[in-house]
Amino acid sequence: MTIPDVKQKWANPINTVTIGAAKEGGGTRTHTISVGGSTTLPFLHFEGEIPHRPVVAMEILDIVPEDWHPLLSKYFSDVWDNPGKWAKKCVEEFGADLICLRLAGCDPDGKNQGPEEAATAVKSVLETTGVPLIIWGCGNDDKDNEVLPKCSEVSAGERCLLGSITEDNYKTLVALCKADGHKLIAESPVDINIAKQVNILATDLGLDAEDIVIYPTSGALGYGIEYVYSIMERGRLAGLSGDKMWAMPILCDIGKEVWKAKEAIVSQNEVPQWGSQEERGPLWEATTAYVYLLAGTDILIMRHPKAVKEVKKYINKLIV
Amino acid sequence: MEKKKVRVTFQPSGKTVKVDKDTTLLEAGAQAGVYISSICGGDGICGKCRLIIKKGNIKANPTTLLSREEIRKGYVLACQTTAEGDLEVEVPAESRAEKEKILVDKDAQRFRALYPQAEEKTFFKYDPLVQKLYLELPKTTLQDNLADHLRLYREIRRKRKIPIMQSGLKVLRILPKILRESKGKVTATIGIRGKTTEVIQIEEGDTTKESYGLAVDVGTCTVVVHLVNLNNSQTIDAEATYNSQRVYGEEVTRRIIYAELKGPDKLREAIVNDINNLISTLISRNKIKLNDVMTLVCAGNTTMVHLLLGLDPSQIRREPYIPACTSPPPIRAAEVGIKINPRGLLYTLPSISGWVGGDITAGILATGVNETKSLTMLIDIGTNGEIVLGSKEWMVCCAASAGPAFEGSGVKHGMRAAAGAIEKVEILADGKVKHSTIGGVKPKGICGSGLIDVMAELFKAGFINRSAKLSPEASSRIREKNGELEFILVPASETQIGEAIVLTRADIENLIRAKAAIFAGADILVKSMDLEIKEIEQLYLAGGFGNYLNKEKALVLGLIPDISPDKVQFVGNTSIMGAKMALLSREALERSYEITKKITYYDLITNPGYMDEFISAKFIPHTDLAKFPSLAKKL
Amino acid sequence: MALTGLEIYKNLPKTNCGDCNFPTCMAFAMQLAAKRVSLDQCPHVSEEAKATLAEASAPPMRLVKIGKDKNPLEIGQETVLFRHQEKFHRPTGIAIKLKDNLREGEIDKEVEEINGLKFTRVGEEISINLIAIEHTGVSAEEYARLVGKVKEKSNFPLILISPKPEVIEAALGVSSEGNPLIYVANKENYEGMASLAKKYRCPLCVEGKDLEELAERTAEIKKLGVEDIVLSIDSDRAMDTLQDLTRSRRLALEKKFRPLGYPTITFTTEKDSFQEVGQATTYICKYGGILVIEGKKKWQILPLLTVRQNIYTDPQVPNAVEAKLYEIGGVSSNSPLIVTTNFSLTYFTVEGEVTNSKIPTYISVVETEGLGVLNAYAGDKWSAEKIGKTLEEQKVKEKVGHNSVIIPGLVAVFRAELEEDFGWKVLVGPEEAARIPAFLKNEWKVN
Repeated sequence: MTIPDVKQKWANPINTVTIGAAKEGGGTRTHTISVGGSTTLPFLHFEGEIPHRPVVAMEILDIVPEDWHPLLSKYFSDVWDNPGKWAKKCVEEFGADLICLRLAGCDPDGKNQGPEEAATAVKSVLETTGVPLIIWGCGNDDKDNEVLPKCSEVSAGERCLLGSITEDNYKTLVALCKADGHKLIAESPVDINIAKQVNILATDLGLDAEDIVIYPTSGALGYGIEYVYSIMERGRLAGLSGDKMWAMPILCDIGKEVWKAKEAIVSQNEVPQWGSQEERGPLWEATTAYVYLLAGTDILIMRHPKAVKEVKKYINKLIV
Repeated sequence: MEKKKVRVTFQPSGKTVKVDKDTTLLEAGAQAGVYISSICGGDGICGKCRLIIKKGNIKANPTTLLSREEIRKGYVLACQTTAEGDLEVEVPAESRAEKEKILVDKDAQRFRALYPQAEEKTFFKYDPLVQKLYLELPKTTLQDNLADHLRLYREIRRKRKIPIMQSGLKVLRILPKILRESKGKVTATIGIRGKTTEVIQIEEGDTTKESYGLAVDVGTCTVVVHLVNLNNSQTIDAEATYNSQRVYGEEVTRRIIYAELKGPDKLREAIVNDINNLISTLISRNKIKLNDVMTLVCAGNTTMVHLLLGLDPSQIRREPYIPACTSPPPIRAAEVGIKINPRGLLYTLPSISGWVGGDITAGILATGVNETKSLTMLIDIGTNGEIVLGSKEWMVCCAASAGPAFEGSGVKHGMRAAAGAIEKVEILADGKVKHSTIGGVKPKGICGSGLIDVMAELFKAGFINRSAKLSPEASSRIREKNGELEFILVPASETQIGEAIVLTRADIENLIRAKAAIFAGADILVKSMDLEIKEIEQLYLAGGFGNYLNKEKALVLGLIPDISPDKVQFVGNTSIMGAKMALLSREALERSYEITKKITYYDLITNPGYMDEFISAKFIPHTDLAKFPSLAKKL
Repeated sequence: MALTGLEIYKNLPKTNCGDCNFPTCMAFAMQLAAKRVSLDQCPHVSEEAKATLAEASAPPMRLVKIGKDKNPLEIGQETVLFRHQEKFHRPTGIAIKLKDNLREGEIDKEVEEINGLKFTRVGEEISINLIAIEHTGVSAEEYARLVGKVKEKSNFPLILISPKPEVIEAALGVSSEGNPLIYVANKENYEGMASLAKKYRCPLCVEGKDLEELAERTAEIKKLGVEDIVLSIDSDRAMDTLQDLTRSRRLALEKKFRPLGYPTITFTTEKDSFQEVGQATTYICKYGGILVIEGKKKWQILPLLTVRQNIYTDPQVPNAVEAKLYEIGGVSSNSPLIVTTNFSLTYFTVEGEVTNSKIPTYISVVETEGLGVLNAYAGDKWSAEKIGKTLEEQKVKEKVGHNSVIIPGLVAVFRAELEEDFGWKVLVGPEEAARIPAFLKNEWKVN
């Protein structure tokens, strides 16, 4: 029986964003990573091209984490006093596609480290690893505007992905990216319109739409994931349908969310009904990732080595 | 033990009142009949009710809403201050709402210009709800021996086709005497009361020359009264004032809450006083006798009508938003305390739902949405931003909770359209600001049309970005004061109020929220009918904006849907216009009932898509530029 | 496509008589379009209009019921491709697969383990839905005995898996009154399977090597009188299954292609636990009607059931968190107290910012029917009085040693009444959650 054709002809491909610069690109990375570029919804190969597979970045901090769960610390505690070593372990032992360096040490409510210390961390990661780098501020607007310029400067030409701009704080970072040749994470609070508004504000300042990755906020499985899921689906549909301000790759920052979730951090002794925590913790993180992959995420930021390994393995099964 | 009384004198009016010692100055002002601005209704949050203490001791709660400098100058917040002894205070211009004459607005001319364009529009037949008839009754004889009242009805019927008539006892008691003393030459005043017609007054001789009625717009923020000559349909004069219920809360919801907690009497008295004051100004200025004002027709939102008539409004604010009554019958005006001819009748235009009132029915009547074949949208930019969509075939409507920002409330220097209000603003290429005020006097605030202008100009000049955030680097007129950015529209030296007229970050946020609510409502209404904005064939913009509204600027801001400017028409205060049409034509009143039966209320509050649309519209002009094709080209 | 309100309106009498209990014909038409009422409520609609409207409202995907009295499962009759467009109506039925080579003693243990796969999340009990029993080598009688045993030990509806009609018939002999799902009719056996499905009135799964063959087969089976069909979409690779699931859903909904207008059944093929959950998650999110899995460890099932619970929530009904007093961080009697609504997004945002602030804080969540701060205020879902009473009910004063409460800036209007009637010292907090950390640091003082 012949059946009707249900292929959709989408108006617009998702932008391709290349992170990292190798020697020929003016940087020192051993390779670059491109995301986006697809002309269809996630993994629908019958309908369009999916030139780049989703990638997994592993999260490291510029300071020794205070509250990381023992299930995580057992992998990292030997190296986490040194961002360079930590990053190297993630790449060489756990197969991270990228490193996401979060400048938690700059938080004025915490260690309140200055631009120099942050820049040192950036440099050390760039020295010990060859993968492209994501640099994410501490989330305090004023402090990030003070710290990130230095980080941007010491990594100029490396085409890092810097985070993050928001509706209320975008001018400094947009200027940095234009000057030092980086890419930007545009953050919004689980809202399809605000996500778009940040992109409009940034491009109004002259940033190329192709330099932006959307971060629509992430919730862990069981903690609001369905809101983010639908916003990502709607955004991706809009992007493919021709909305240039939603035609960016999408990033999900799930490690920090998952490792707050009860289901990941509560031991089997406390809740026998939930089964082995050794498995449950990383599987909660992996499952959160599986869900976001179907909504269209292009970059996942994760923590647990086992979850990273399994998610990368599963991605390969969905890509030709 | 009785509380100690103190005497408070308010300047510049000199009004004095004796109050209990613990009474706040805001309450004292209300008792003295001195209007003091207040948005929060006395919670000490809005900072609007500023007074200057001239003499006497006070007790005041600390507040962060006054600067140190202001406190040194004697400024206090009226709601946070009580008198310790006798007191003299000054109400500064910015806290005052003077009952100065509003420019007689040009609605009448505007509407004359409007009708020829609406091709299907027919004029309603001239047939006032209350009218005087001069009658000459033939002498009674043994053969023609009908009772007096029947003789009167027979004579009336020779002039008007009226099937059912009745008279009150008061008229019947004096009827025999008047008929005989006047030798049958009398003037009967008849008024429509549903299916029957009542002889409400009988006078000796011919008094038909003096016959007046009033059209009243009972707004949440402003009350407007037009005085109309019922013999020739001419509007003689108009007068407006703030609704003094504002002391009890700026928004409708807060007034309902107040009525529930403290009883509705204060609110009814406040609005009745306002109307009575306006009437008395109008009749004395035009040398008319109160007794010759036979009727008034009121149009107002559902809650305002409830409060005016003393109906219980408490369910209107609760899902599913049920009013006590949407079509109150005509009553004697005196029953609610309104002072016209004691036998005179008060009509109210019927409401559509708890949140779409008789003011909107009036708007539909005035613009003829219900008569046209073209798909028409009517947006009334008032405290609630009501939107009507439809035509002859069907009509739907909704209310967007826009807040009163475009009426000048919730905006630091906002005011209604009255003398001294900035109504036009232009930012020149060199960053200088040009403005003009109603009445051409020194400015003391900004009215709705000025607010639309200034927002659009700030955006065009690049002083605010598309999310309406001020860019301090863009202009030296943007400064930080008390930790908040503000734009100086007029420097202190050029204003009436001794301080600069500014637009603060919070003002801008309020205005953007208001415009977003209105546009989101319009957009959802269009979508709910599976239509598209481009299918709208005509758009009427209504609101109490005085004489001016720049539709291009309203579009730049994304306040109104993007359709060709020649299809957009600013129609002014349609509430008063509709009330006036009903006043002059029974047919129009009947049509207003048909409108409310035909129209479908669409609830936005429970619409799950509303929040998304709202956020999307909280951007200039909109997050989705596809909705503004004519602007997309320019941006 | 479904009719719009305006299209329906054109078929109604347009008299606004109100006999349907809606104020106007248009209001009724809009409710019809939203499928909240049925056309019978209008006593005056013409026969012709009835026919037009019924035709347009026929569902493009069949509803199939499996099981009977206890834990019956309904799948199908979905209306959208993406949950935000309306919602996904019928959550994926999750089946645990057993094989027939279990030894006598193992059956009880396995079934007991399956019976225990239920959890409580956000006040809702979530569990698996079916047990699938696969025939591999045993005789028809032994298979039937096993099926009978499982049926006796468990309350879940069954899926009978065998390509052999005689095996299925033997099992139906002991289980057909429970309305099990038969798996599977293929090219070779479909006539026999169809006659069994008809005879025992049970739903039937159908397979084909691709969607084209599958469509042919369902058409033939329908001709044989079987209506309750489930499409087997079961390629070995997750990638292929995902695409076939997507195509069949699009064909049913967008093309109204009747031969594939049925719900689906899929199977995991991965042996590794993490990879199996990956596959299963894919099918739950993307159009699996029934998902059959082998892994049944609690730590595997809990995330899967959570995925299903999340994806199948109604996106148009705002989610709510439990209204109670939450303690964030190591609170003491001096910790600040914040009041907010029970809209989950509001709560999570506030909670997130409080966490950011690193200041241990009490959050008192008020029941506002899942509305955010402003909407709840406008809709009268909360008030000063409600907050005051909630604080009393939650016995907040037993926990905090002070008298101060922070209310959202958007409802500053509650201040006076909370102070006067309930004796709290009210601090008006920021309008946006993002300013909470600064507020807690700079403005909060114990009074």
